[in-house]
Amino acid sequence: MSESTRKSREQVVDSLHQVAAEMHNRMQRGEPPRMTLPVRSKSNISFDNRLGVFKYGKSKTVRDATKLGSARQLLRTLHITEFIEEMIDSGKSSTLREMYYISEGWGNGKFGSQNESNNLAEDLEIVTKCLREDFKLRPEEDGARIIGNITVEERNRRGEWMTINCRDDVGDSGYGVPYNVEEEKLKLVDEDIDFVMAIETGGMFDRLIENGFDEEARCALIHLKGQPARSTRRIMRRISDEWKKPIVVFTDCDPWSFRIFASIAYGAIKTAHISEYLATKEATYLGITADDILAYDLPSDDLSKQDTGALEAELSDPRFNTGWWQEQIKLMQEMGKKAEQQSLAKYGLDFVTDTYLPEKLDGIGLGY
Amino acid sequence: MNEAEEISSKQKQISISEFFEKNKHFLGFDTLPRAVITAVKESVDNSLDACEEARILPDIRVEIRRTKGDELELITQDNGPGIPRDAIENVFGKFLLGSRFHAIRQTRGQQGIGITGVVMYSQLTTGSKTHVVSKIRSDSSAVYVDLGVDTKKNKAIKSGEKRDIWIDERTGDEVSHGLRIRTQMKAKYQRGKKSVFQYLRMTSIVNPHASISLVVLDREGSVIEEGDWVRTSNKLPRVVEEIKPHPHGIQLGTLQRMLREANDRKMTSFLKHNFSGVSPRAAKEILAMAEVEEGRTPKRIKAEEAKTMITAFQTVKLLKPPMDCLSPIEDLLIKKGLSKAIDSRFASTVTRSPSVSQGNPFQIEVGLVFGGDLTSDGPIEILRFANRVPLMYQQGGCLLTKSLEAVNWKNYGLEQPGGAGIPKGPAAILIHLASTNVQFTSEAKEAVSYNEEVFEEIRKAMLEVGRGLKNHLKKDSQRKKAKEKFELVNIILPEISKKSSELLGREEPDLAPVITQIMNAVFLEEVLSWDKERRLSMCSITIHNYTARARAYTILAKWPESNGTSMEYNPKGGRKEARGLWAWRLDTLDPGTSTVLEFGISGLSKGDWNEADIFFRGNGEIIGATKMDEALLEEQRKTEALEAAVEEVRAKEGTPVRADMGSQVFSDVDVDEPRDPMIADMAPSADTDWFGMEGDEQ
Repeated sequence: MSESTRKSREQVVDSLHQVAAEMHNRMQRGEPPRMTLPVRSKSNISFDNRLGVFKYGKSKTVRDATKLGSARQLLRTLHITEFIEEMIDSGKSSTLREMYYISEGWGNGKFGSQNESNNLAEDLEIVTKCLREDFKLRPEEDGARIIGNITVEERNRRGEWMTINCRDDVGDSGYGVPYNVEEEKLKLVDEDIDFVMAIETGGMFDRLIENGFDEEARCALIHLKGQPARSTRRIMRRISDEWKKPIVVFTDCDPWSFRIFASIAYGAIKTAHISEYLATKEATYLGITADDILAYDLPSDDLSKQDTGALEAELSDPRFNTGWWQEQIKLMQEMGKKAEQQSLAKYGLDFVTDTYLPEKLDGIGLGY
Repeated sequence: MNEAEEISSKQKQISISEFFEKNKHFLGFDTLPRAVITAVKESVDNSLDACEEARILPDIRVEIRRTKGDELELITQDNGPGIPRDAIENVFGKFLLGSRFHAIRQTRGQQGIGITGVVMYSQLTTGSKTHVVSKIRSDSSAVYVDLGVDTKKNKAIKSGEKRDIWIDERTGDEVSHGLRIRTQMKAKYQRGKKSVFQYLRMTSIVNPHASISLVVLDREGSVIEEGDWVRTSNKLPRVVEEIKPHPHGIQLGTLQRMLREANDRKMTSFLKHNFSGVSPRAAKEILAMAEVEEGRTPKRIKAEEAKTMITAFQTVKLLKPPMDCLSPIEDLLIKKGLSKAIDSRFASTVTRSPSVSQGNPFQIEVGLVFGGDLTSDGPIEILRFANRVPLMYQQGGCLLTKSLEAVNWKNYGLEQPGGAGIPKGPAAILIHLASTNVQFTSEAKEAVSYNEEVFEEIRKAMLEVGRGLKNHLKKDSQRKKAKEKFELVNIILPEISKKSSELLGREEPDLAPVITQIMNAVFLEEVLSWDKERRLSMCSITIHNYTARARAYTILAKWPESNGTSMEYNPKGGRKEARGLWAWRLDTLDPGTSTVLEFGISGLSKGDWNEADIFFRGNGEIIGATKMDEALLEEQRKTEALEAAVEEVRAKEGTPVRADMGSQVFSDVDVDEPRDPMIADMAPSADTDWFGMEGDEQ
C-alpha cells in the first residue's frame, strides 16, 4: 500500500473513538452498548470485481452487552483502544503477545487467551479500516525467507538503510522478510529474475537451493513456512505490482495447501478486510495438482477424516468456485489420496528440478 | 472314646462338614475373598443389633491381618452390652438355629447364618478356636474364653475360660462393656467393589449413628487398607416392636403349625391372640366363612378346615398390620449417612410411608447424591440395602436394581444410554427396603425377588428423588445464568461506561435503564446459612425486579417441617400453605428495586438443610424460582386432609394413634382421585381462604 492509503495519527485515534462512541451513545439512550462487525466466515466473502480479490460482504454481526462474554469483549476492546492511544502518544509499539501479557493488568478487561487478543485486534482493524501497523501492533511470527537475484534496501534498527542482494549477501537460509514490509521499512531496488516461486515446505525449498534452481531457472524462491504470514503475502504482492513478475505457488497436494494458495491469490477469510493489500490475484497454482498424482504416478497417502471434511468445505468456498478448482477437488475426493511435494523424490533427488518443474513451468508459459 | 463312638462322631463331623461344603455358596463362604466379608458381616450385624437393643451408640472396630498363605486373622470389637457368661455357648453354638426364627420384626441378623458359622468355618479351615472376650456392665471383670463347635452335639465347646480385667489395647482404658472376637480363617482380603471396605462403608451409610473403623494389615504388618467412618448422628434407630403375623401372609403349613402349638381353647381367641389385624368381629367373620365353629379347639382343626380358613383370610376385610415393627433410617439421616461416605454437591432423599404386601409391612427409602467427587463417565453407583444390611452381590438380578432401571432417568437429568437400564453420570443412588419379611431370590440372600407392590413403591420413591435432582439441576443452571447477569450489570457494564467516557472525555451515562434492558426479568436468590448463636437454619431470599413494570408476587418456600422443627424466626409473617410449605405475600416491587425475605428454622443441626425449594405465584417468570403447581399443591392438601381425618376417626374410636396405615376403610380410598366428595368435605375450613389467594394476583 502506498503512503497515501496510510492514516495519520489523528485519523487512527478518531476511528478508534468512533468505536467507543457507538457504545457510549447507546448507553445514553438507555440501550445496551454494542459494536457492529462484518461476519467473518466463508459465507460472507465475495469477489470484488474492482479489486480482483475476495472481500467481506454485507452481513453484519452485533456484539452487544446482553451476554457476559460479549460484554467482556466490549470492555477489552476499550482497553485495547486506550492502550493503542498510549502507544501512539509515546511512539512505542508492541507485539500482540506483549499486549496479551500487558492485559494481565486490565482487571476484568484481561484476555482469556492470546487467540482472543489477536482476534479483537483484527476486529478493530476491520471496524476502523486501519491496519494493525497503524495500531503499533506487531505479529509475533516472522515472515518468509527469500533466495534469488533480487536487491532490497531495508532500514535497520539504527535507522540506516542497508542494501541486500538476496542471492549474494545471504547464507543458505536466505533473506529473512521483516514483519513490516511497507515502503518506510523496505524498498524493492533491483532484480534479475523472470518469476517468483513460493514454496510450502522447508524441505523442498532447501532441495531447490541445493540443486541451484534459482539460478538455472532465473527465479526468486520464497519459503512460505506453511500458511504465509501477512508480511509474506504483502511482499509477494509488492513484487508483483512493482516488478510485474509472475508469482507461481508450489505446494503439497492436499486441502490445506489449496487454502494456502487461496489466501495468497484470492485473500484469506480472516483478513478479507485488507485483501486488496495482501492478495496477489496474478499468482498461479503450479502444483502439485491432483492430476499430477496420476500423471507422475506419485506415492500418495489416504485422505484423513479431517482432510475429507476440509475438501467438502472447499467445494462451497466461493474462492474455489471455478471450474478448474472444482475439478481438482472432486478428482481428489474420487481418488481419496493426497501427496507431498517431496514424493517427487521417488524418481531421484534431481527429478523435481530436471523434469517436474520444467515441464510444469513450460505448461504455463514460463519455460526456460 | 470307644471306636464306635469315634466313628459315629466322625460321621457326624463329616455330615456337618459336608453340609457346610454343600451349602457354602449361600452361607457366604464359597470363595476365599467372600469368606472374610461374610465373617465381618455376621459379626458387625450382631454388634449393631445388640447395641440397638441396649440403646448404645455403637463403636465398632474391625482389624484384619494376613498371617500365612491363604490364612488371616480377623478381630472385631464393639462397645455393645456384651454377652453374659452363661449365654456365650448359646450365642456361638446354635448352628442354624437363629433365635429370631419366629419373631416378626425388622432385624439385621435375620439374613445371616450367624456368628456360629464363623466359628465353624474357622475350625474347619484352620482347626483353631475362636477367642472371645465379653464384658457386661454388671460384672466386675470380663470373661475370656476359647470356643469351638462340637460337630457331634451341634453346640459350642468352651475351653481356657478365665476372668480378668479387660484393658482396651488402643485407648489403654478399662472396658466397661463390649465384645471382642478374634478368629483365624482361610480367606483372602480383596479390595474393590466387593470388599470388607465397601461392606463397612455401605453399613456406615445406613447406620449414621455408628462409628466404624477398619484396618487391614499385610504379613509384614503394614497397612493395606483402612477406613474410618465416624458417626454423624447421635440418634439411635427406633426400637422395633415385634408383631404377630398378619393373615394375608400366612401359608397353610404355618397355620397348621400354629394351630398345633396353640394353647388357646377357642378358635376366636386363637385368631385374636396370634395374628395382627384381626378384630373380634373379623375373627367371627373368618370362622363363619370357613364354616368352623367358634368354640372349636385349635389343636383339633383338620387340614381341610385350615385350607378353608386360608381362603377366608384373603376375603374378609382386615385391619393392616401395625407398622412400628419397621425401622426406617429416615430421610435426614440418610442424607447424613451418604454425606459421611460420599462427597457430593446435592442430596435428595425420601422415606415413603409404610406399606403392606401379603400381610408383611414394608417401607422404602431412597437417597440420591449428585456431583462433587463422583465420576461422571461411568454408570452410577447403586447402594442396595435390606433392613440396613448392604447387598453386595447379584446386583443385576435384584428387584431394587430393576425398579431403578425402569425409571426414565433422562427426564431427571441423568444420561441413560438406550433409554433404559442403569443411568450414567456423577450420581449414586441408595435404596433401602425395610420389611419384616424380605423375600430373596435365593438362599444366598443377596438379591430381592420380584414383588409388584415393592417395585411400585421403589419406582415412586425414585420419581420423587428424580424430581429433586431435576429441580436442583435447573436451579443450578438458572443460578449460573443469574450470576453471569449480575456480574455483567454490576461489574462489566459500569467499567464499559467508565472506560468509554474516559476515552471520549464525556459524562458517564445513567445506567439504570440500560440494566433494566439487559436483565429484563425478576431474579430471586436464596442463601441458606447457620445461625450459630440462635441455633437456627436461616434462609434469606432476595428478589430483584429488573423489569420496567411493578410486580406483585407471593413467594412460597419448602422447609423441613416435622415434629422437631418449627418456624422460629419469621418477621414477615405469612402463613402455612401446606405441610412443609410456607407462603408470604410481598408488597409491590417497583422497577429496579429489590426486597429481602428472611426466616429461620429451629430444631435442625448445622448442615442439615442445604437446599431450599422456592416457588412463586404471580405474573411473569422469576429466574431462580419455580411457578407454583397449584394442582400438585391441591393434591398434597387433600392427602393431608385425609390423614387428619384418619387420625380423628381413630381418636374417636379410642384406638391409640400409631404410626401405621390406618384402617382398611380409609386405605381403600385412592388418594390419587381427590374428587371423592368425602375427602373434599374433610378439607379443614381454616385453610380455605388460601384457595382464594390466586385471585389477588391478577
